[in-house]
Amino acid sequence: MKYRVSALLPAGPALAMVCGLVIGPLLLLIRVSLYEPATGRGFYTPGTLSFTNYAAFADGYLLGIAGFTVGCGLAIATMVLLIAYPLGLFLSSLTARMQLIALGLILMPKTAGLLAMLFGLQRWLPRGVLATLIAEVYLVLPYAVIVIYAQLLNLDPTLRAAARGLGASSWQVFRRVTLPLSMPGMILAFQLGLMWGLGAFLGPLFLGRPNETTLAVELHRQAFEYGRWPLAATEAVGLLVLVTVAATGVPAVVQMRRVTRC
Amino acid sequence: MLIRKRVISVLGWGTIVCLLAPVLHTVWVSFSPDSFLTPPTTAWSFKWYVACFQDRRWMHAILQSLTVAGLAAGLAVATAAPAAWSMGNLTRTQQRFVSFLLLLPALIPPAALGIGLLPLVHVTGLWGTTLGMVLVHATIGLPIGFLIIRTCLPEQLSELETAAAGLGASQPEILRRVTLPLLAPVLFAAGIAVFVLSLNESLVSIFLATPNNETLPAVVWPQLRYSPSPLVAVASCTTAIIGTLGILIVLRILVTRGRHSCPSLTKSPPSDRLPACHEIRQVSTVP
Repeated sequence: MKYRVSALLPAGPALAMVCGLVIGPLLLLIRVSLYEPATGRGFYTPGTLSFTNYAAFADGYLLGIAGFTVGCGLAIATMVLLIAYPLGLFLSSLTARMQLIALGLILMPKTAGLLAMLFGLQRWLPRGVLATLIAEVYLVLPYAVIVIYAQLLNLDPTLRAAARGLGASSWQVFRRVTLPLSMPGMILAFQLGLMWGLGAFLGPLFLGRPNETTLAVELHRQAFEYGRWPLAATEAVGLLVLVTVAATGVPAVVQMRRVTRC
Repeated sequence: MLIRKRVISVLGWGTIVCLLAPVLHTVWVSFSPDSFLTPPTTAWSFKWYVACFQDRRWMHAILQSLTVAGLAAGLAVATAAPAAWSMGNLTRTQQRFVSFLLLLPALIPPAALGIGLLPLVHVTGLWGTTLGMVLVHATIGLPIGFLIIRTCLPEQLSELETAAAGLGASQPEILRRVTLPLLAPVLFAAGIAVFVLSLNESLVSIFLATPNNETLPAVVWPQLRYSPSPLVAVASCTTAIIGTLGILIVLRILVTRGRHSCPSLTKSPPSDRLPACHEIRQVSTVP
């Protein structure tokens, strides 16, 4: 048993960083959400413990924002999947050298030119829900393409050749070999798209109208424009709950469908 | 058949061009000779680039961005590498535990992380410091660094380490003469990836920036939102140029390295291929 724990030692510093700067803040978030709002100076009233902030979810305003966030997340994940899958197929059909070039070009706007991309989109698209969704698709798409592309590369190419040899048309090969075998990649891409779509921040911030905000934008506004940290923390907790539901919910739904089909 | 292939290729490349178009538009606008946001057609100028590099606030932000990105990349690789290296010695459960925790920073919404970090940096005195920014950026870079190193660990690494130990090398000697030289390109690639990511990190930075430690994206975003100008386009392009160079380097390294260790990056499955002469020689000359 002792030997096993010591094997974790090399990972120690990295784990400590995640615990201190990710897990810690998340726990702190829950604590801050239980403070009462500040009266006068400060960001919250120290030493208080109450659920008053969570009552805000019961009124229509926050519930509306949460609903809008979920709608955005689902729309983003669906759009991303619909574009990423054909793009992944296209990518895997290229020669090794072209794959590399195409991959670099797909990664470039999100990873290297994030601000430049938002600047360009802002010039072209009038603010609104559609612009928000397009911007978020631009932000999430590269990751989804990589996930699907990696899945497609792992397919055994001889399976497709065998299917062709047995007389299947290229559509049949796609429908009955490629598509089913690449399903795990599609599910993962949808799941990640949903998780990132729920946390949509830059899209609605730069391209959404003020009344079309997601939870992420709303909590930023509460914290920085009104200094209401407890309420912002409460909204963040709500957002985390949604993301957790997405993370566990998508595989669960897939599992259920598989069981009912059997 | 040929027509269909052509249609597919036009659609595929067309999508990629659509993805690139907004960035290209911004680059175009950044050469504008006046302060309008229409792309220049006849007269081009570097006026806004000069203005950006002469402005103290922009320069401070650019330098701050580069410093933070460099330090964060170093820290992320220094912590992710041992973690990725040790995965082979762990049980299944431990592996899942470590991967889950190290990938967590990429999975939770940055806005929630930002608002959670706010009280933490206030309490610990990291508020407004470069150190705080570096720690946060390194944590955000951990997942990508870990993933790259993990998937590209050379296959023969543990065998060569065992061989070196059998030949009487001490643990530090193995690390210095076998492990690090073999890992160096992968670590470099991972470092560049984290660097590029950190340069563009604009979500958590928006929450944590103060005039003292603000990185470029934190200076750009309020202006981008309320008063876009060619100057903002220039500032956005600066990170885009550095970032693109970075991506090129990463892909290049991963592909030359990845021929053997990253089958997912190359098309031909290398499993049943006989090793080439130079590879055998290469392996046998390693101490």
